[in-house]
Amino acid sequence: MYRNHYDSDITTFSPSGRIHQIEYAMEAVKQGGAAVALKSKKFAILVSLKRSSSDLGSYQKKVFQVDDHVGIAISGLTADARMLCNYMRNECSNYDYVYESKIRIERLVTKVADKHQLHTQGYGGRPYGVGLLVAGYDQLGAHIYQTCPSGNFYNYKSISIGSRSQSAKTYLEKYFEQFEDCSLEQLIVHGLRALRETIPNSDTGLNSKNVAIGIVGENQPFKIIEEENAQPYLNLLENEEPVEMQI
Amino acid sequence: MQQHVSFPVFGQNDYFNYKNPQTLENRMPVVDAKKKTQDPIVTGTSVIAIKYNGGVVMGTDMLCSYGSLARFNSIQRMEKFGSYTIIGAGGELSDFQSLSNTLNDLVTLDHCIDDGSKLSPSEIYNYVARVMYNHRNKGDPLWNSLVVMGYQNGSSFLGKVDLVGTCFKDDIVCTGYGAHIALPLMRKAALDNPNMNLEQAKKLIEDCLRVLFYRDARSSKKIQISVANENGLEISEPIELDTYMWQSGEAAVKSFSQV
Amino acid sequence: MTSVGSGYDLYVSTYSPDGKIFQIDYANKAVENSGTCVAIRTKDGVILGVEKLVPSKMLEKSSNRRIHHIDTHIGVGISGFLADARQLITRARDEAKQYRQVYGQPIPIKVLSQRIASYNHVYTLYGSVRPFGCSLIITGIDQYGPQLYMVEPSGSCIGYFGTSMGKGKQAAKNEMEKIKFTEISTRDALKEVARIIHTVHDEVKDKDFELELGWISMTETNSVHQLVPQNLFEEAEAFAKAAIEEANQ
Repeated sequence: MYRNHYDSDITTFSPSGRIHQIEYAMEAVKQGGAAVALKSKKFAILVSLKRSSSDLGSYQKKVFQVDDHVGIAISGLTADARMLCNYMRNECSNYDYVYESKIRIERLVTKVADKHQLHTQGYGGRPYGVGLLVAGYDQLGAHIYQTCPSGNFYNYKSISIGSRSQSAKTYLEKYFEQFEDCSLEQLIVHGLRALRETIPNSDTGLNSKNVAIGIVGENQPFKIIEEENAQPYLNLLENEEPVEMQI
Repeated sequence: MQQHVSFPVFGQNDYFNYKNPQTLENRMPVVDAKKKTQDPIVTGTSVIAIKYNGGVVMGTDMLCSYGSLARFNSIQRMEKFGSYTIIGAGGELSDFQSLSNTLNDLVTLDHCIDDGSKLSPSEIYNYVARVMYNHRNKGDPLWNSLVVMGYQNGSSFLGKVDLVGTCFKDDIVCTGYGAHIALPLMRKAALDNPNMNLEQAKKLIEDCLRVLFYRDARSSKKIQISVANENGLEISEPIELDTYMWQSGEAAVKSFSQV
Repeated sequence: MTSVGSGYDLYVSTYSPDGKIFQIDYANKAVENSGTCVAIRTKDGVILGVEKLVPSKMLEKSSNRRIHHIDTHIGVGISGFLADARQLITRARDEAKQYRQVYGQPIPIKVLSQRIASYNHVYTLYGSVRPFGCSLIITGIDQYGPQLYMVEPSGSCIGYFGTSMGKGKQAAKNEMEKIKFTEISTRDALKEVARIIHTVHDEVKDKDFELELGWISMTETNSVHQLVPQNLFEEAEAFAKAAIEEANQ
């Protein structure tokens, strides 16, 4: 008689205890271009694949700086991400004003995640349709976090989100134990290789136009590497040499 | 009529204008909604502190005066906040107690987060400075001079915050009368002995508090000395300062009675 | 789930013809889909153990903790949606802080539990919100000694000697019935909790899990809630594994 009517409202649990609207919002994250995050002891990096809607249009920004010690890569609804990024910038700025020090990454991520959660419990709104990868460096070291529309967040050694991110994940799962002692350059190359896995063979592949890299770490304020600055790393990728490590 | 004095003496201000009761307005207390604490009531005097090689030492006496009356003579004017920070306070005692509650809430939350990092002395110092400055901007200052000291990850911290939110860090910090009397003595001692050890620093603080006891009418000889170093935080038990042998005077007084 | 559907189970503000509020039952379902959480109260303390399911091997160890501190003398264990639970934790910390400000002493565990339960209850009254998809076990020590309460999405709040929630709650309860709560020492209880979590873990359905242990005790932790220190944790886990191996032989 009915279709699955438990899935049209954010305030409705299904009989199995799930909330379908949240799960659908999680699907929105998978629609966006892929983003990969990984870290060594001293660095956390983001590598993402930018898309453009037409040959005449520019590429959609994917990596945002939040503060000197944090940046994010996004996948899903970009407008939602911009709001959240703005919120995070504000939180960093407030913390800086009150304590004159940098906010711990986990405390920042907890705040945005709490913001996500509020949108999953009340009628008349929708959950955020975006996943964030947060890369940061604080007194506890380098960190990678992933946030979800559900309000959950995860502290990862490395992870990928977005369309076809499973392929990147497979790559990361194979190599992540090596990342800890990688140099920044090796880390970026690993990131690019993981990202490359998400591109269908028919596509043009990675180039300086569609790649954005964010780096942060010890004595390294958050920096976005894209356009011609990304080319040297893409060249490394073609040579394939420096990442082969003997373990 | 003087509304405001730097070292206000409770009971000596003519709050209700009794001396000129000619008009109704004169008899009404002037109340401005934006001005709240105008005078402190129960006050502590100086706080003095100095960095030594390997930590920080701070000293206060234990007196809280009610105007010029030595009302409470065994009040601890230094508190620990978390594992790395001690704050010493002069000025209004109740304002310091209120600030302590606020800071304890902050430290408790920090403890609860339990992520392997704790608020550093400099973070607590900045937080206090923001609290003091915000209150002052509301026209309702917390009437204190505060000295924040701490020791974390091998580095000492020492700074001062006052009731208008002015804050600075230094190797030697004194408040109240101490800033006039103890500071020059401590600067000289530090100049003569740049690598002061703990014992020397404690001795210096004790000597300075003794001088303050002689010169500052709102001070007492019951003191406490606190230390922040790699062993953590310690606030001493009350110490009675050895001072001039007043008994000799006593004998003289007694001898008068026999005359 | 015979009476599922028929349009009476979409909102928490709707009763079914036989007087049930299905949305609350469904919220409880969300709790039951989650890792098991067990707590035991002894003479001088309380032990919390959580089976934290680990969905990816690339996760850091500290990720997604299910035991949190509310105040120095209170800790909670979580089953269900972590994101929802974080809201309750924030609320609980605010309540504890507010109580301290007003009364100048730490909040009694019972008072805190009831306040959180009331908060939960409000979310079962209106169609514009949904209940919290999580249960909390609240543990701590106050002037009445060690305390242990469980707060559920419905807004119920019940004190226990030992209780469990989540996937393996029934199996855990069966295990717990053998324990003499008035006699067991805190250290022994710690081992028992570790053993129960390991016993109820279903290796077929959920591959990886991480044991999380929290405790508070008058003698061991000076009435401060904390995660169990590494050496005792390892001891308890070794005991658990040995006990299970023995049972299997």
